Formats: sequence, structure tokens, C-alpha cells
Amino acid sequence: MTDITDTAKKLLIGMGNPILSDDAIGIRLATEFKERLGERPGLDIVEECCVGGLNLLDLVTGYERLIVVDSIKTINGVPGTWYRFDASSLRETMNLNNVHDTNFATALEFGRHLGMVVPTDTENHIFAVEIEDNINFSDQMTPALEAAYPDLVKEIFVEIERLLDS
Amino acid sequence: MTRKISIDPITRLEGHGKIEIFLDDSGAVEDTFFQIPELRGFERFVVGRPIEELPRIVTRICGVCPASHHMASAKAVDGCFGGEVAPLAHKLRDMYYHAHYIHSHIAHFYALAAPDFVLGPDADPATRNVLGVVHKVGLEIGGAVIKSRGQAQEIQRIIGGRNTQDIWCLPGGVAKGLKPEELAEFRPWVDELYDFTQFSLQLFRDVVLANETYVDIIVNGPYTLDVHNMGLVDDNNAPNFYDGKVRVVDFEGNEICKYAANDYADNIAEHVEDWTYLKFPYLKQRGWKGFHEGIDSSLYCASPLSRLNVADRMATPKAQEGYDEMFKTLGGHPTKALLANHWARLVEMVQNAEMLKQYCEDPEITGDNFRVIPQRVTGEGVGIVEAMRGTLTHHYTCDANAICTSANLIVGTTNNNAPIHMVTKKIASALIQPGKDPDQGILNMIEMGFRAFDPCYSCATHSLPGQMPLEVRVHRSGQITHHFKRGC
Repeated sequence: MTDITDTAKKLLIGMGNPILSDDAIGIRLATEFKERLGERPGLDIVEECCVGGLNLLDLVTGYERLIVVDSIKTINGVPGTWYRFDASSLRETMNLNNVHDTNFATALEFGRHLGMVVPTDTENHIFAVEIEDNINFSDQMTPALEAAYPDLVKEIFVEIERLLDS
Repeated sequence: MTRKISIDPITRLEGHGKIEIFLDDSGAVEDTFFQIPELRGFERFVVGRPIEELPRIVTRICGVCPASHHMASAKAVDGCFGGEVAPLAHKLRDMYYHAHYIHSHIAHFYALAAPDFVLGPDADPATRNVLGVVHKVGLEIGGAVIKSRGQAQEIQRIIGGRNTQDIWCLPGGVAKGLKPEELAEFRPWVDELYDFTQFSLQLFRDVVLANETYVDIIVNGPYTLDVHNMGLVDDNNAPNFYDGKVRVVDFEGNEICKYAANDYADNIAEHVEDWTYLKFPYLKQRGWKGFHEGIDSSLYCASPLSRLNVADRMATPKAQEGYDEMFKTLGGHPTKALLANHWARLVEMVQNAEMLKQYCEDPEITGDNFRVIPQRVTGEGVGIVEAMRGTLTHHYTCDANAICTSANLIVGTTNNNAPIHMVTKKIASALIQPGKDPDQGILNMIEMGFRAFDPCYSCATHSLPGQMPLEVRVHRSGQITHHFKRGC
């Protein structure tokens, strides 16, 4: 993480699909964060975002720090586990990529080339929650992820608050 | 014994596409299988919900073309309520959709297609992206891409109220009209967008058509198929992206069928193979004949090139010039050169921009009569639009209380499932021959085949990652003899 000014604009995004089972996790977390802790100067929150590539570049332009909450599915991963990484590992998540468009990391670099104000790689903070099901359409998450949800709220919110207060 | 080559794009993500290439004893390609796990249960998910909610729900199927689903769904829902729609609403929806087409085509051409031609098919994968394009053609063009794409997206937002997850279309019309001051805000951008479409065509001429090697790849490479073409057309058989009849024309230019949305089930059927979740649509009247090329084939492409192949003309004058130039260069109309899809997108963009200009001058466009309140439930509707990547069909039924009882979707990329499968085999056969082992080049050659169709599995199946990670493993007698991978 780099030093940014106190007045720097920060953006929190919940990535995912609210009707694709566990893919909703990023949206739920961002929505709850906004309701409980979101009133902060310089912070904007987009609770539901399902776009990638150049569309995401549009969204993050003008911000110096980006916090993304997303889903991830890894081989032998345990649902409810969460990971934190930066822009150099963006392709690990389900929603920050887009086969129709450029991926987000490339879009960010493209923006920088053009002189746009976008977060540096080290100011892209991605929280990715291991999920079980993002294949079946449902407005309910799986029991495993639902059971893990309270701990995810506690643990990830602490990290997000640190990022917002630093 | 049979040897197996696996191309496994995503090793760490769920929902990956996978290509299996099987070689015979001589080392020639015996068969290929393009497999995609399908998203499940959408049709079931919407059953029991109020039918008028579907246009808002379907936008969450896919983050790439939510506007296309919104439009097709709205038209299907219109049908469930008797089909009466305010004429102004049709105009506004069409106008909105032209803006959507422009920003989508800009993103595809400059981010995905241009690297193959501006940098060359053999370019280092690390630089084969939009950054490499900008490095070669200049920062100024990169800025123009961002500006034009943003303008088109903003026009869509102003007309429809949102960029994604639209809530604009309602049964019988739209939720808001276009105010004169809103039109005035984006009117200058429309002229700029028109200029950008002309610039893009010129860039294609300068970079692609001026290079004999590239033209040869387009016309003579393995990227051709003897299958037919599908697309929506208006009464003059010009492309129409929002409405019209579906026309199917064979690869020699003869019309096979032309049907209204409500008759889709009499003309299109879906074949199931046990090695993939994704279905294979085909021309129902001809019956399923397998992955067969030829004039009697029952398979078709539904893509930008297909839309121009089924069209006798374009709907606007400058687009007509682009259409004439393209088919003259490619040896006549229609053409089987799949890589010309990229060119077709640029020609389509010209029509989109010209149509936007026409709507801006339409004195009725800022009117107030943008919705007819439905008075009855008729229980069934079919909506068809041209998604950027192919013909998109939504078919719904509902009960007397307008509660959804069934839904069926045939999405753009699904139409192209068989052609993508077949062209993959063609490319593999061209690159892997007895005594000629595959090398890293197979990755981009196969990707180029995919990219021609601009496939989107977010709704057809599952999303693939942006850089199309590919892994190729060559198996011989249980040993891996070759291993190529990128991005995974």
C-alpha cells in the first residue's frame, strides 16, 4: 500500500451476480458494509457491480484507492475462506475478467497510459471469498457460505476499515 | 493408439471451457471437442415470478450484454400482454440499442480484434492487447477510443436511465421518454461518433487491407466454413438489430427461410450432445445432420458477418458504402471468411451512428406517448433481437395472472456453438499434421477463431477470463510430450 492523501477518493465495489447463488457474496458484503459503516467522507460505494474491462475502468476513474469484494473458486478451496491480493493477481477472481473485453488489469494500465486518474496496482485491494456454487441461478447462497457469512463480515470489515482509515 | 491433446483454459477457476484434440495413429487430427459447462436453472428461476419483472431479472444473466437481454425480454413480455407497444417506445428502444452497439463494437474491435492485426497474429502474447495497439498506433487514438466508447455508453444511459441492469422497458413501452434537453446534451456526440466510425473503417483499411498477409489470412486461412447465415432484417432485407424478421441465407446467397419471432420454434431446434452442456441449434426443417459442412447442412452462424450476409443492403447510405467495399474486397456477397466478422462490426457501427443521427432529427423522438398500458394478458410472447454476437431469442409463457410458467432462451453464442466447434477442428487440422508437431502458435490461432465470433459464455454458459488462458498438453502413450500454456 502506498501513502495517499486524507482527501483521496476511495471506492468500494461489491462484484458479482445477486441471482447466481454464492456469486452474490461480494454484493451482500458491500451492501451490509454500506448500511453499517459506509458513511465516511471521500468514500463511494457501489454495492452491485457485474461489469469488467473498460466498463470497470469507467467506474474507477477518479479514485485513488479501490477496494473490491468478489468471489473466487479454487481447486479444493473451502467455501468461506477468503483471500486478499492486489491488481497483479486480478485474474484470480471470477468477475474482474471479461472475455468480451480487455481484463481489468489491462484496462487500468490502459487508463494510466492515457493519463487518467486510476488507482495504482498497490492501491487495488481485492478481497475474494471462496465459494461453492456459481453455476446455479438462485437468490440464496449455499448453506456453507451462509454459515460462514457472519465471520466473513467480522474479518473482512476490519480489513476494509483499516484501508479506509489509513 | 489415439493420442490426446488437452487445451484447458482455466486451471484454477470454476466453469472453464476446454478443448480436447484427438490425434489418430498417423498424428493427424481425428476429432476435437469444445466443451463449456453451462449455467443452470435460469428458466426454472424465473418460473413463478411476475412476467413483467423478467426484463429486469434477465439483465443479471450476463454482465456483457445486459441491454440485449433487456430488449429481447421486453419484447417477449410485450407479447404476453397482447403485443401492443407505443410506436415512440419502439423508436426509443431502437435508438438506445444503436448506442449500445457502438460502445460494444468499439470495445471488441480495439481491445480484442485489433491486436491480431495491428500487432500481427504472431505477436508476443504479452503485448498482444489494447496497450500494444496504442503503443503502435499512438496515444491519441487510444484517447479517441476511450472518449467514443464513453460517449456511446453515456447516450445509452441518458436514454435508458442506467448503463447496466436496466429497468427501463415496461410492458407496452418504456418507463421514461427522452427530454429535449437530454437530446441536446448528447446530440453533438452523435456526430463525433459518426466520425469515429469512419475513422475506424479507415484504420482497418490502412492496417489490415494494406497488408497482403492479413488479407490472405482473412480470405484463405482455415477460418472459413460452409455453413449458413442468420440475422434480423427489416422489410427491405437490410440489417435491423432491434426488430424485424429472422432471415436465413445459405452460403451461396439463397434464402432458406424467413420467419417472424413467434414462428421461431417451427424453424429452429436444439441438438444435445452428451459431451457438452451447451446445445447446438440447427435449422429444424432440415433436421440435425451432425457437424456437417455443405449446401445441405442444417447449421448456421449468427454473427455480425452473418447479419451482413443475410442482408441485401444496409439501411443507411454510408454503411452501404462500407458493405459494398467489404464484399467487393472479399470476392462477393455472401462471404464465408469468418475473420471478416471484425470488418462487419465496423460496417455495422456506421449504420448504428447514421441511425442515431436520424433519430436525433426525428421531431417525435422527444414526445410523451412512450407507453401503452396493457389491458389484457394473452399468455405467450417471443422476443428476438440481434445481440452483438448473434440472434437472441426469449420465449415466455404466463398464466392469466401474468405469472411466468415457462421460459426458453437461445442466446447469441449458442447459435454459434457448432461453427465454433467446427472451426476449432479446422484450425487444429491445419496446424497439427503427421510429422508436424504443434507449437505455441496454436494458442493464438485458436483464439483468433473464437474471437471472430466474439463469444460470450456469461449467459451461454459460464464466463471465461479475459485473457483466455490456454493450456495445451500433448499426450502420447500416457506421456506428456508437449506442454504450452499462457495465462494459467
